[in-house]
Amino acid sequence: MPRVAYADAALTVWQGTDALQFIDGLSTNKVVDLAQGEICRTVFTTSQAKIIDIVTVFHMGEFLAVLSHKSKLENLLLHVTPRILNQDVSISDVTSRNVFGIEYGRQNENIGIFQSIDGITYGHITSSLSFLVASINVKCDFDEVEKAFHQWRIENLVPWNGYELTEKNHPLASGVNELVHPQKGCYIGQEVLARMISRGRQGKMLVRIKNDDVEEKFITTRGETTSLAIVRVRNQ
Amino acid sequence: MDCGTCETSGPVQVMTPEVVNVNLTISNKAQEMLGDAFGDDRSMALLVGVLSGGCSGYMYDLQIVEETDQNCQEVNIDGFRVLVPNASSHLLDGIEIDYVDRLMGGGFRINNPNAESSCGCGESFS
Repeated sequence: MPRVAYADAALTVWQGTDALQFIDGLSTNKVVDLAQGEICRTVFTTSQAKIIDIVTVFHMGEFLAVLSHKSKLENLLLHVTPRILNQDVSISDVTSRNVFGIEYGRQNENIGIFQSIDGITYGHITSSLSFLVASINVKCDFDEVEKAFHQWRIENLVPWNGYELTEKNHPLASGVNELVHPQKGCYIGQEVLARMISRGRQGKMLVRIKNDDVEEKFITTRGETTSLAIVRVRNQ
Repeated sequence: MDCGTCETSGPVQVMTPEVVNVNLTISNKAQEMLGDAFGDDRSMALLVGVLSGGCSGYMYDLQIVEETDQNCQEVNIDGFRVLVPNASSHLLDGIEIDYVDRLMGGGFRINNPNAESSCGCGESFS
């Protein structure tokens, strides 16, 4: 199955008895119920509900491994670390110890859990998308070019960091609505997102569209004939 | 996955804000309500802390405690012991603890000059 390197990935280890609650209190998805062996994606947002970063939390038992993005890690840490205060949370950056990959197009039924096979940890995000994390000492080959992955993303309407998932967009416009939990408690940006959901007015949405049917400025990932675009929703 | 927990992996540098000597006030109404809560036992203390979370990023945390294992500074206001954790002292300097007497949304309320914004319920600020 196709496998590409995930060059922009970053990995931090969050330790301490308050770590899970801490992430839950600052991000859009309900993370607090995560159990050992499970993974969960969530989005850290600003008070205007703009994306700071989308992360995948691996519950490793003694600690949490948080897969985020190198390009956004500094902003993410600037956002979270002042809020640790006297809670039992410590964060270590272990990005340089690991390599990261993406496996896509493979049907799996183990959504929401991770598995270790031959030294590689597979976090199954959806039925056809998994993140791979391995120590730099483990042989991990990537055999596909990135272009094919982005074409697959277009066909399957999968938003991606730096394309749709940017600091200019909120999670609902970026196509990660499933990561905005409707019933969890307060978090930064929740008032804005809750208002959009309750009024049915999210403003923009992610669509797959023929290249000729959309202005260039709305395209977020360009394909050969169809592209992903974030466009304003009509009739709102 | 190499989590670095087997070896010594340095934690991310966390900016620790400077500890400030907190000045705070308690309104007459709040003192009256605290008096009801404490009774004659003034050995108890009001712990005024801050937690992460809430709509605006920080949430107030008020507790009546005997002691705490948190590193705190103690302020005495008209016989009331008030404990403020040093870790959140920079967020709480200058606050007024008030009491709002309302059927809905009433209770202790904190007026904080350091808050740039706060959410509607008054429990969260940034």
